[in-house]
Amino acid sequence: MSVITRLKDVEDKIYLQSAFKSRIKRKRQIADFFARLVVTSGGIAIILSILAILFFITIEVIPLWRGVKADLSGRFDIKQTAGIAIIITDDTPFNKPIPIFAIGLDEYREIGFIITKTGKINFISLKDGSIIKQVPLSKIEGKNVSSIFESSNNKQYALGTEDGYVLPVEINFKVSFTQEGKRIIEPRLFEGEPFLVESITLNKLAYNQSSDDSRAAAVITSDGRLVFVSVETSSSLISDEIKNLFKHDLTSGLKGDNVTSLELDSFLDNLYVGTKEGRLYHWSVSDKQNPKLVDVISATAPPGTPLTALGFLLGDRSLIVGDASGVVSVWFQVEDETSPIGRKLQKIHHFKSHNQPITNIASSSRDRSFLSADSSGNISLHHATSNQTLLQLSTEGSSIVAIAFAPKANGILAIDQKGVFYDWDIDNPHPETNLKTLFGKVWYEGYSKPDYVWQSTGGTDEFEPKLSLTPLAYGTLKGALYALIFAIPLSLLGAICVSQFMHPSMRNVIKPIIEIMAALPSVVLGFFAGLWLAPYIEKIIPAVFLMPLVITILTLVAMILWKYLPKFIHARFREGTEFFLLIPIIILGILISIWLNTPLENMLFGGDYRNWLFEVLGLQYDQRNALIVGFAMGFAVIPIIFSIAEDALSNVPKHLTAGSLALGANRWQTAIKVVLPTASAGISSAIMIGLGRAVGETMIVLMATGNTPIMDWSIFNGFRALSANIAVEIPEAPHGGTLYRVLFLAALLLFFVTFVLNTAAELVRQRLRKKYGQL
Amino acid sequence: MEVILNLASVQGNILKYNQILKKSDQLIKQNLEDKKQDSIRKEGRSHQLEISDPIVEIENLTLEYDGKPAIIDILIDIPKNHATAVIGPSGCGKSTLLRCLNRLNDLIDGVTIEGSVKISGEDIYDSNIDVTELRKRVGMVFQKSNPFPKSIYENVAYGPRLSGIKNSTDLDEIVENSLNGAALWEEVKDRLGESALSLSGGQQQRLCIARAIAVEPEVLLMDEPCSDLDPIATGKIEDLITELKQNYTIVIVTHNMQQAARVSDYTAFMYLGRIIEYDITENIFLRPTNKQTEDYVSGKFG
Ligand SMILES: Nc1ncnc2c1ncn2[C@@H]1O[C@H](COP(=O)(O)OP(=O)(O)OP(=O)(O)O)[C@@H](O)[C@H]1O
Ligand SMILES: [Mg+2]
Repeated sequence: MSVITRLKDVEDKIYLQSAFKSRIKRKRQIADFFARLVVTSGGIAIILSILAILFFITIEVIPLWRGVKADLSGRFDIKQTAGIAIIITDDTPFNKPIPIFAIGLDEYREIGFIITKTGKINFISLKDGSIIKQVPLSKIEGKNVSSIFESSNNKQYALGTEDGYVLPVEINFKVSFTQEGKRIIEPRLFEGEPFLVESITLNKLAYNQSSDDSRAAAVITSDGRLVFVSVETSSSLISDEIKNLFKHDLTSGLKGDNVTSLELDSFLDNLYVGTKEGRLYHWSVSDKQNPKLVDVISATAPPGTPLTALGFLLGDRSLIVGDASGVVSVWFQVEDETSPIGRKLQKIHHFKSHNQPITNIASSSRDRSFLSADSSGNISLHHATSNQTLLQLSTEGSSIVAIAFAPKANGILAIDQKGVFYDWDIDNPHPETNLKTLFGKVWYEGYSKPDYVWQSTGGTDEFEPKLSLTPLAYGTLKGALYALIFAIPLSLLGAICVSQFMHPSMRNVIKPIIEIMAALPSVVLGFFAGLWLAPYIEKIIPAVFLMPLVITILTLVAMILWKYLPKFIHARFREGTEFFLLIPIIILGILISIWLNTPLENMLFGGDYRNWLFEVLGLQYDQRNALIVGFAMGFAVIPIIFSIAEDALSNVPKHLTAGSLALGANRWQTAIKVVLPTASAGISSAIMIGLGRAVGETMIVLMATGNTPIMDWSIFNGFRALSANIAVEIPEAPHGGTLYRVLFLAALLLFFVTFVLNTAAELVRQRLRKKYGQL
Repeated sequence: MEVILNLASVQGNILKYNQILKKSDQLIKQNLEDKKQDSIRKEGRSHQLEISDPIVEIENLTLEYDGKPAIIDILIDIPKNHATAVIGPSGCGKSTLLRCLNRLNDLIDGVTIEGSVKISGEDIYDSNIDVTELRKRVGMVFQKSNPFPKSIYENVAYGPRLSGIKNSTDLDEIVENSLNGAALWEEVKDRLGESALSLSGGQQQRLCIARAIAVEPEVLLMDEPCSDLDPIATGKIEDLITELKQNYTIVIVTHNMQQAARVSDYTAFMYLGRIIEYDITENIFLRPTNKQTEDYVSGKFG
């Protein structure tokens, strides 16, 4: 009976147990489920947020690659709407010599104006083409206009008359707002003092005035002479008074060529003359009393192709040349010793988007874009720096006689031979970026050769932005490289030392201390490096380079001494810990080097190493240079590499070390031959992550270098890193502008580089782990 | 009920051991007659065994881990070119004793050692001894096979390279001989460049033996070399040990009585840090003089 009850007991127990077990099981399942849920959702959230960051950065970058949009917003026949007739005297396009039409518009693109042969300015509404106002030019009342010159700033005009006068005219628009907030645009006209060049019809004209109010003009008279005049005026409240007039007949320089176009820059330094014979003449007119023919260039290909139009890019330093075969090229002066003025005009950019002779050129007053129009009514929008044709527009097939770029570069006006007036809306926010300008070598205005340059803003509006990311990426790599050169040996040596030789109790103190270094704000490191370290290192550069040598010699000496030391002293050190005796030796080495600094500098470098560097090696010494960054950023990177590498090294199974030691290897041999290769996966990812940190580091590179975006591996030069560049420039970059987006692109690039580095680290780690893993 | 079950299993064990003992008995009946059994057993000490040609002489060896003694007053001579087994319950200090012979205990912090260990008549704890040289003379095979994450070839060549052998024909010869010596050559001769980790557990352990004999040690220490292996691999290693003891002095720690009976000539029984009994193997298993030894070898505890 008792057996039976006991059996029953057991049965109950078993039942209870299984019930209990199933309850536990269910509980476990639920816990398991929630744990999995939390972990996966956490992981997904992280991935999503990274993707979101990537997405938002990309959104800011993409518009850089958006093409130009153009809409024809207005088209009217001005003969009907405004009663203005087009009179073309000569139909051959390259000989379309009388630009009797000039057109322009206000910055809101409401009012346009047309200057005609009759000497009247016709202001028309750009909505319907109707005349708003006709203003006669009072100072040449009754005279016929025979030539018009349009300066590249779209405001300044000059009219040449049939009786040989030149009249400077300035047109601008006064914008005011009514109380209701309605915009009122009022065109205004200023006539300068006309001056007589020759008493003969002026067929072609180039005119400009410099900031100090001297003026100059070059004209082609109806009897085919090229005359250059310069005028000095004194302005008074009432009127301008002509004081001096120098006149030079330059016809003899032309060798009988037929002039098709003239350009004179606003500095009154250079006069360019293009001819039907395809030659480009360059006169230096800076000396007003003595114009000099500097150069005659066969500017078209094949030679002899007529040159049909000239114009200046924004800034009046780059000359745009159009020819009869439809080629447009951009030229500027490049340093050249053979030239009498030290610079020589060179062809830099080349655009082939027309098949017909170029009739007109107009440049943007915002950036380096310009328009070219041809005799079959096609219009192209080019950008000089990026060397790309952004847009091609076609009209109704007639030759374009006048063209204008809206002041805000958001519209194009053109008028053709038949008197049809076109008005386009242009959306062209980022003409200056393409892969080539962002990463390639570009020949910037004023440079002697194509180069990688980052210079986003300049002093003037005419500045050509130079947005090559290459020097910045280069800087980032340079900084990271020097930091790693400094950090890898130190941190790995430290990691080996701590993991292999140090007593565990000491290791437990030292490791956290080094890891806390990682928490040191990098701005503190940067500040310290830039303000204390940089000036100090500058004083002891010879010593810095002496240190490795001195320390090596001292170590060797110490090792030899150690060998001859009696054994009982050895026995007092644990195997491998004799390493710590090196610490005082290193400190001694540093002190000796610093002490030797001055004697060394006097002996080898003639007392001033900077001079020596410059004269012998051609190196410049910047106080805040790559060496300083190497030290400072090295300090930021060391804790990371150290910590990960130390973990990897101490995770090498003890039975492997024991196996090596049991075979008669000493501690160092074991560390190098067994522990290091076994931990190589961890060490390589430590280095990669360190590199990732160095690449992304901002404050240290910002503060410890001069931030000059130069490309030079010299350790004595500074650099500018991508990250520092973003920090420096984003506050000054107008929202939505090209610079703003390029900075986002730099961010994307950084993101990408760190991503690639981390992925590579992971791949290497996995491969090595496969190789060394199953221990 | 549990007690009954336990008893049953103990009984099973006893039955097993009885069978072994019977086998051993027959062996002994054939051999023991010639052995001068009486001359080697003396009065007074539990394990007095006169070894005519000792290679390792341990005298009054005491080792403490942070003041806690792990082996106490060990006095034992180990004969040359024989296999000596060390048996005893877990934690009795077998591994510690073994590690004293190649000074691997030096690496552990807080170890104090008293007494003397002589190998080939030289005190290995003398301060003039070069520990790395000593370890080349005293090889060791560990419980868990520990090939380096290198190729098979490099594993075997590791020791010779440390001794400064660089000539590749010499190394090739050493590698082949050692792998042959460890009965592994045939299995790996075509894949010497492959990672040692691609070998099976038994092969890895034999590789470790090959690696140890590549430096031609005088003494080969084996700490439970077969505990991770299946019976076939164990058999191979046991055969190998029988083979190796022609040329090497082998000290083997094992928990497997049959193994000790099969491979060793002498057996020492340790208990709580002391050597309780040391004798020729047959005597330990068949005629233990000590009650604890008898209990242990008959499976009553441990
Ligand atoms: N590194 C160590 N530090 C401190 N105590 C240790 C250390 N290694 C071993 N001991 C102690 O020394 C005693 C003997 O250990 P040892 O490893 O020699 O036993 P063993 O006989 O080899 O046991 P097993 O058969 O389980 O391997 C044990 O009590 C153990 O706790
Ligand atoms: Mg053990």
